[in-house]
Amino acid sequence: MSGLSDNVGNYVILASLIFTIGGAGFLVRRNVLVQLMSIELMLNSVNLLLVAFNRAHADNMVGQMFAFFIIAVAAAEVAVGLAIILSYYRLKSSVFTDEADIMRH
Amino acid sequence: MEAFQKIFPAQNFSLIVVILAMPLLGAFVNGVFGKRLGKDALRLMALAALGIAFLASVLSFFMLHAEQSGEEPARFMWHGWEWMTLSRAGEASFIHAGGEPNLIHLEVSFMLDALNATMALIVTGVGFLIHLYSTTYMWDDRGFHRFFAYLNLFIFSMLVLILGGSLPILFVGWDGVGLCSYLLIGFWFDSEANARAGKKAFIVNRVGDFGLLVAMALLVRYTGALDWDGIAAGSRGLMTEIRIWDGQLFAGFLPAFITEPRSVTAATLVGLSLFLGCAGKSAQFPLYVWLPDAMAGPTPVSALIHAATMVTAGVYLVCRMAGVFTLSPAAMLVVAGAGAFTAVFAATIALVQRDIKKVLAYSTVSQLGYMFLGVGVGAFTAGFFHVITHAFFKACLFLGAGSVIHSMHARIHDTDASQDVNNMGGLKKYLPITHATFLVSVLAIAGMPLTSGFFSKDEILYSAYTRSVVSTSTGVFNWPAGTGAVLFAAGLLGAVMTAFYMFRVYFLTFHGEFKGWRIVPGWQAPPGEHGHGHAEEEEHEHGQAAHGHDGHAHPAHADAAHDHGASAHAAHSHDVHGSAPLEGPEPHESPWQMTLPLVILAALAAFGGFLNAAPLHLTPMEHWLEPLFASTVDAARLQNSDPEHGLMYALLVPGVLVFLIGGGTAYFFYIMKGGAPARMLAERTPGLYQILLDKWRVDELYDELVVGSLEALAEASVWVDRWVVDGIIARLTALLVTVWGHLLRLFQTGHAQAYAAVMVVGLFGLGWFVAVPQPKAVVSEVGSTGEYAVEAAPGLGYAYRWDVDGDGNFDNEDFGPTSQVRIKLDEGATRDVGLQVRNAFGRTRAGVFHLQRPKHDAGGPAASRSNAAEPRAARLALASGRDSAQHSSAAPGRDIVKVP
Repeated sequence: MSGLSDNVGNYVILASLIFTIGGAGFLVRRNVLVQLMSIELMLNSVNLLLVAFNRAHADNMVGQMFAFFIIAVAAAEVAVGLAIILSYYRLKSSVFTDEADIMRH
Repeated sequence: MEAFQKIFPAQNFSLIVVILAMPLLGAFVNGVFGKRLGKDALRLMALAALGIAFLASVLSFFMLHAEQSGEEPARFMWHGWEWMTLSRAGEASFIHAGGEPNLIHLEVSFMLDALNATMALIVTGVGFLIHLYSTTYMWDDRGFHRFFAYLNLFIFSMLVLILGGSLPILFVGWDGVGLCSYLLIGFWFDSEANARAGKKAFIVNRVGDFGLLVAMALLVRYTGALDWDGIAAGSRGLMTEIRIWDGQLFAGFLPAFITEPRSVTAATLVGLSLFLGCAGKSAQFPLYVWLPDAMAGPTPVSALIHAATMVTAGVYLVCRMAGVFTLSPAAMLVVAGAGAFTAVFAATIALVQRDIKKVLAYSTVSQLGYMFLGVGVGAFTAGFFHVITHAFFKACLFLGAGSVIHSMHARIHDTDASQDVNNMGGLKKYLPITHATFLVSVLAIAGMPLTSGFFSKDEILYSAYTRSVVSTSTGVFNWPAGTGAVLFAAGLLGAVMTAFYMFRVYFLTFHGEFKGWRIVPGWQAPPGEHGHGHAEEEEHEHGQAAHGHDGHAHPAHADAAHDHGASAHAAHSHDVHGSAPLEGPEPHESPWQMTLPLVILAALAAFGGFLNAAPLHLTPMEHWLEPLFASTVDAARLQNSDPEHGLMYALLVPGVLVFLIGGGTAYFFYIMKGGAPARMLAERTPGLYQILLDKWRVDELYDELVVGSLEALAEASVWVDRWVVDGIIARLTALLVTVWGHLLRLFQTGHAQAYAAVMVVGLFGLGWFVAVPQPKAVVSEVGSTGEYAVEAAPGLGYAYRWDVDGDGNFDNEDFGPTSQVRIKLDEGATRDVGLQVRNAFGRTRAGVFHLQRPKHDAGGPAASRSNAAEPRAARLALASGRDSAQHSSAAPGRDIVKVP
């Protein structure tokens, strides 16, 4: 238990790595489903961080509670996001976001 | 007489009101009710108004004569009401005509004295005759009622002008006659040329009015009054010197002649400004250009306004302000010189003109020049006498010309053709009365001995030679020697030309063969052709546009459109020079309403000279006007080089000679040689002939200069509006916004990923601030005792460590929360305060702040300035990596805070 407060740094590094991977994936990949998955990765990295810190400073359950919130929100967001993707696919018959540039100048 | 004197006492002379009110009433009735009243009633109203005004003027004249005794000029006053009060606040008035020193009362009052009683007789008398003339002349005109309304209004304004008791009242009349002149010149306003002539008259007059207003302002300033008595009382103030040229400009580079400071008396400025007004109203060079164009109006208008009355208002003004004018020899020289120049200049133009009215117009300008020559040398009576005689013979000439034109209109309706002397000739057989009266007037204007023109013009020439205006103080401009001889020579030159061109017009019009049309006795107008009756009201269609009809305005003419079809044109031929020779009836004499005024005026022109025949020692007018001019003009200023009149008879000889030469030459040219020498001269000198015919192209010059410069200004304004206002202010700013928008638009790729990338960049920036500690602080001075407070900027989880004593080592080992330290400095001392900041991530950064307290100098402005500067809190907001801006105060190096 108290041992985790010394090692929380490792979890921070791991979470940062996962966040970076998710972030880079979102920025770089063309496939919209992969972008959605990258977003999930970022959210999960934050979850990991929250839970790790909660474990390190265990006087209350705020971290875990917040993680639950994030999970719920992520689920809702994915539902909506998939709906949007489906509409987009029906419109463009494509899953590549770089073709969605009607709003360009 | 006593009964009259009881009814009309001298100080409340309500007869003046009768004189003024009658024409005004006539104008009102004719104008408002004219259409309903019918022509006969209108005629009665107009004539009655003028007739009663004339009788009242006669009565006033005799009453004034009875009142006049001894040296004091008699005067009748009528005070109306107070118009306004001007107050001169703030400055000590050094001249004031009694009463409150700083108030100037302008009241509506009229007065009658020797000068304007005579003038009123002329205005109402000649006016009455011209009204009588025009009842017949304008009978067929659609605007008959309007004509008489304007004419009566003109007489009213002219009477206001001459009877006014002060300059503002005179100015009301001045502008009124200008207005009526405009209305009457452009009477047949359907023609654009007529309207343009009216506008030209009004606008050129306005230039002169400016001069009159400036003169009024100067008089208020330097004499403190605007009524005749007040101006006379305050005329001391007019001798104030006013510096008009400072001379300091380029003092080292230009010759002394230019850089010397110059000053003139206020009297000179007033005189010159007044003369500008007179030049406008009385058509002197350079503001004469409106008078020839004014011939576009009906002939009675030309006779009344532009010969007898309105144009003499300028001469009247000079006579009225004689006391002021004579204070300035320079102004008088300008008046006399301009008069002489105009006399010669206009006479040269009149030599070659073809239109009979234009010749008379230029003759008027020339004779007005003589009048100004007369008053300019100080011979006010002579100049005024010429006004009177000129009214007689010029009105007679104009009315006679109208009679001739009236007879030409039997067959020729085109304005230019019916007035061209080359289309006339031999009319003495058909127009006997017109011929006789015209001849008498021509003799008068040319200066045949014993006619009125002879006495008045030769008096002026004699005065020009012998008289001058001098100044009683030294160092003031005085007339150069020989001025009199030059003016006399110019006058003679003008006189010989006057005799020549007047006789030329006379011979071409009345002698020789009639060239207008082939006279067929008993000729009848074919049907559809307009006949010559006076009461006819046919539709009359002309094939030509723009007819300013002189005398025969037809009812339909005034409102018909001017583009007529060719079919109408075939109804009658307008060509005087067409293929088939024009045939027509005998020219006929005019009815009695037109010839009676001619006869009366001709009689006056012939015998009126005996009112002031100086060579015959018969000068009632001189005696009549003597008290007035003696009281207003300082006798010491009028110099007469021939007080015994010894030269008078000698100088009469050139006068008679020029009459004989001019008349004889005209006789030789036109009667003996049938016009051949004139044609030969014109062919030999085509350039000179053309430039005279073109009136020396002064109008064209004004067009280029004045109108051209206004147009250039307008073009420049258009350019500024298009390129500066629209271009820079509107379009350039719009362009900037557009360019910026284009740049920003590049960010709108439509890709969600690009937007996300921008968000990441922002996130990194934010993160940098969180991750890297910023050691920033604000240095401020507390009070003026040298205490400084250094306050560190807050941040996320910051802890501070200070080095207050400036030794380079931090005071504490630990980082604490103290974010502000206070340091007391001595004068002239400096301290380097260090700050180390540690953020939540444990990273540290340090900064150094350099404090300096400036030294105080004992005394001196620099010290006081720095003293004053000190209490001001010098708040320096610092940005990392940049030096703060230096304050530009007396003490250098104050409050410089550097960050490494």
